[in-house]
Amino acid sequence: MRSWRRNRETSLEAELRASRPEPSSELVHRLEARVHQDGRRARGGVRVAFVSAIAVAMLTALGSTGGFSYAATGAGQAVAKARRIVHVHGVTQVHKSAARDQYSKPRKKCRKGTRRVHGKCTKIKKAKGARFRKPPFTG
Amino acid sequence: MFRVDPLANPEPLIRRVYSYVAYRVGDGPDAEDITSETFERALRYKKSYDSRKGEPAAWLIGIARRCIEGRPISLELSSEHLETADHRDLEEDTLRGIALSAAVGRLEERDRELIALRYGADLTARQIAALQGAKTNAIEVALHRALGRLRAHLEGGEAAPVRKSQAGR
Repeated sequence: MRSWRRNRETSLEAELRASRPEPSSELVHRLEARVHQDGRRARGGVRVAFVSAIAVAMLTALGSTGGFSYAATGAGQAVAKARRIVHVHGVTQVHKSAARDQYSKPRKKCRKGTRRVHGKCTKIKKAKGARFRKPPFTG
Repeated sequence: MFRVDPLANPEPLIRRVYSYVAYRVGDGPDAEDITSETFERALRYKKSYDSRKGEPAAWLIGIARRCIEGRPISLELSSEHLETADHRDLEEDTLRGIALSAAVGRLEERDRELIALRYGADLTARQIAALQGAKTNAIEVALHRALGRLRAHLEGGEAAPVRKSQAGR
């Protein structure tokens, strides 16, 4: 009963609600635009702060676990790999090979009593001191 | 943890604040100025809003009350409306609305404040009690009496006094 009384709205109350002053649409639009403009500015600031906080947290985590050197090594390896893939090889010339030795220009023989040292024929020096002799024939 | 934006949906709040202010100071440029000032202050002090203490509407009405208190505005309704109401082309509803506004204007300050809070800002008796630091029951009784006086004014049909602030315009 009491709640029914409380909920019952008199005609005067209904009239007060119905005829309450309304703002002009111009005022509503102006204030709405003002509020939204402020909200956009605030949201932009919050976004920047959030991204900065995430970046700082990531850097701290990486620094504490030695992630920087790991990342640097990884980056270095990646660069080396990429360089190897991208690099264009020229024609390889083999300067010293069995074939080259075999078909090269024949060298001149050194005269008797000389030998080749560093590509030049030089005289053989006789060793000083006691000479080695053949053992005598004993039959 | 996460702050609630009290002005996330501003349109109904603008309407409620304006209705409250207009019931207090009269429909017109003064009410528009006070409503704009209220929202400017609300934007400036948005961070001070605490959702645990009440709804955004109650918070805004609190700001609007302080804005009204800070202005030297006479709070009686204009007789301009009643003068224009004499024209025959106005419909009966409009005339009734103007008479109602004039009757609200003739109420005492406290009664008008209660009517504005309840039927302008659409606050509950509990919210009004929280705003005024009174008991809900006391507010309900005061509202009932204010409505009785308003009804008497309407039935009496006295001429509305001229608003001091608008009489000079």
